[in-house]
Amino acid sequence: MTKIIGKNELESWLSGIMKERTVFAPTRVDDLILFRPVRSANEIVFDYENTNLSPKELFFPRTETLFTAVPKDGDIELTPTIVDQEVILFGIRPCDARGIAILDGPFLDEPADSLWAQHREKTTMIGLSCTKPAPQCFCTSMGSAPNDASNVDIMLTQVEDGYAVETITEKGEKLLQGVELRESDVQPPVPTCDVNIPAEGIVEAITKMFDDPYWSRLADRCIHCNVCAYVCPTCYCFDIRDRTDKGKTERIRTWESCQSKGFTRIAGGYDPRADKGTRLRQRFCHKLLYFPQQFGALGCVGCGRCVIACPVNIDIREIISDVQKIGAEVGQGSN
Amino acid sequence: MSADNGPLIIGFLCNWCSYAGADMAGTSRIAYPANIRIIRVPCSGRVDPLLIVKCFEEGADAVLVAGCHPGDCHYNEGNYYSRRRFALLRALLDFMGIEKERFQVKWVSASEGKRFAKIITEFTEDMTKLGARKAS
Amino acid sequence: MVADFTQQIRDKAKELLEKGTVECVIGYETGSDGFSARPAFIYESAEVERLIFDNTCSHNLVKYLLNKKGKPTAVIVKGCDSRALNLLLSEKQIDRDNIFIIGVVCPGVVEWGWNNHSDQLQIRCNWCRQHNPVIYDFLVGEPVTEGPPDDFADIAAMETKSTEEREAFWREQAEHCVRCYACRQACPGCYCIDCFVEQLDPEWVGIRIAPEENLMWNTIRAFHLAGRCISCNECERVCPVNIPLSLLNRRMEREVLGLFDYRAGMSEDAVAPLITFMKDEKLGIGE
Repeated sequence: MTKIIGKNELESWLSGIMKERTVFAPTRVDDLILFRPVRSANEIVFDYENTNLSPKELFFPRTETLFTAVPKDGDIELTPTIVDQEVILFGIRPCDARGIAILDGPFLDEPADSLWAQHREKTTMIGLSCTKPAPQCFCTSMGSAPNDASNVDIMLTQVEDGYAVETITEKGEKLLQGVELRESDVQPPVPTCDVNIPAEGIVEAITKMFDDPYWSRLADRCIHCNVCAYVCPTCYCFDIRDRTDKGKTERIRTWESCQSKGFTRIAGGYDPRADKGTRLRQRFCHKLLYFPQQFGALGCVGCGRCVIACPVNIDIREIISDVQKIGAEVGQGSN
Repeated sequence: MSADNGPLIIGFLCNWCSYAGADMAGTSRIAYPANIRIIRVPCSGRVDPLLIVKCFEEGADAVLVAGCHPGDCHYNEGNYYSRRRFALLRALLDFMGIEKERFQVKWVSASEGKRFAKIITEFTEDMTKLGARKAS
Repeated sequence: MVADFTQQIRDKAKELLEKGTVECVIGYETGSDGFSARPAFIYESAEVERLIFDNTCSHNLVKYLLNKKGKPTAVIVKGCDSRALNLLLSEKQIDRDNIFIIGVVCPGVVEWGWNNHSDQLQIRCNWCRQHNPVIYDFLVGEPVTEGPPDDFADIAAMETKSTEEREAFWREQAEHCVRCYACRQACPGCYCIDCFVEQLDPEWVGIRIAPEENLMWNTIRAFHLAGRCISCNECERVCPVNIPLSLLNRRMEREVLGLFDYRAGMSEDAVAPLITFMKDEKLGIGE
């Protein structure tokens, strides 16, 4: 038996939640689709491929004050940022939800990042499974699926007259309390993503071709902007700087990217990744080698945002294929 | 910015002409509104457009750059460059929503104490009428 | 006709590489969606078959020459790109002797995104009056005559808005901005080793990715390009949040044209308007 909520019931349920809590949902902003706080259900876009920027922003904002400090009575008074707002994240896709879950690896690894932990605790995620993959999608090759419900609190799947509702966690159950769901024997459709990117064994393959001139050649066209890192649901590099204004100091954390020139420049001016090729290689080694080694999952969820956003078409799907090919050749050559 | 005290005006005055002109206003006991906060620079040509935009970003309601009259620059050419630079900057700021009246460039010589006071008085009045910049 | 361009470019590239005139040809190849172009770096004459030229060849390849200093390199340029070449030559950033310029009479570039084909010309083509490269060693295509002068209608439309409306417009755009610096990285005019936005002392723009700082970033970048921007509009194309940067750059372009009768990148010896002056000019400033 499938539990169903009608479209109108869904909208009025969400409208009710909006009165008490902040609801982030995909919404149209000029010609972009972004997760923004919504005031009414008709601001929500239900029929969309994916947002231009990933929802990692709700847990790892582009700019966040970590704490403020003021001198007081000969000492320093430190006020850490507290996340006290309950937030509902509506309409997150399975790939993005997986992205949040795997970022728990670096962020909650001891010592845990208190702000990430607070955002996670205060956010309830209502997922929306995909009806069909977009041309850039390859989630199934990266450990997810268009209807992968493992990382959300509630999963909705579109059916003919509404949405099938799956309660995944206790948080989800709590949110659904008092909501009338219809029982139906309609089976929710099982969407597929048939794109096959050969990610199996990528860790070994990329290790083998670490020194290959492939990276240098690929990096020829990279312009070293931060776009790929910023649209990515699993990139998490950041910069921290203190800013003092009229006696009050704020420690501010912002997004950064390993691709920008000078990312690894250290005091004294030395830069271990001054070369374009080494910077580009770092991106893919982080995602396809170091991250899986450290946290047990590939650092890519197959959302395809970087494929669309890269100004010069540096395509991770192509790179994975190339790496497998070159890695295999290196393997043979070493005999 | 400070709504009770009127507009906050930042003035970049070149050391040799306009700052001396402001000094002359002072020594001649000619009063002018205290809304202007003066920063002395060697030459109007030294004033980086970054400084102007930073002033507005930090909450200034208006910015004045004052230099020597063209042809009289202590460093010969500084104000010729600043004239071009600020013509373009003013157009850009206006386009982005900072009224061009808020950013003025005036040539004031060392002997023009009275004129300096008049310029500041009029500028302050105009900016009071225009109102504070909308809060950032 | 444009299909013919591809063959001419391949033939020329082959010749240059075989003779050793250059060690690399920077051109375009087809990208991973099967039809949009992307930059290509060809080092072997056997690889010239990768090169193509079509109406998705938006990218301004001139910027890459800054990574090839001291190495003889050929580059494919359209009309707008060739102006960028002149800009970098006049600013002494590249050595004329080290580059071989394959100029292409531009057929216009279409609006495209990855896997998103369209027949509509990009906005830059509406205002372009430089389809013919202004500098080249080898020309592909027959020079065309340009339309009537650009009327900057897009700028005029913005100016019908009130100051408050414009301020609100740019503040909203600043809210979208993520400071990825794709605009800067794609721009041939932005090549400072230490960009002002990365300076720590003084810290002109803080690291906060927030509207105030973002506005300052975009304003000053537009100002640093005043009199230098050659309107390739790559900045706007690469922006992941579609900020209409062309409005800022073209506002400056119109002003520079009006005040100084100057267009950037038209000659390799040009003197940019902000590093020169005329003693008796009247610019509506200071009087």
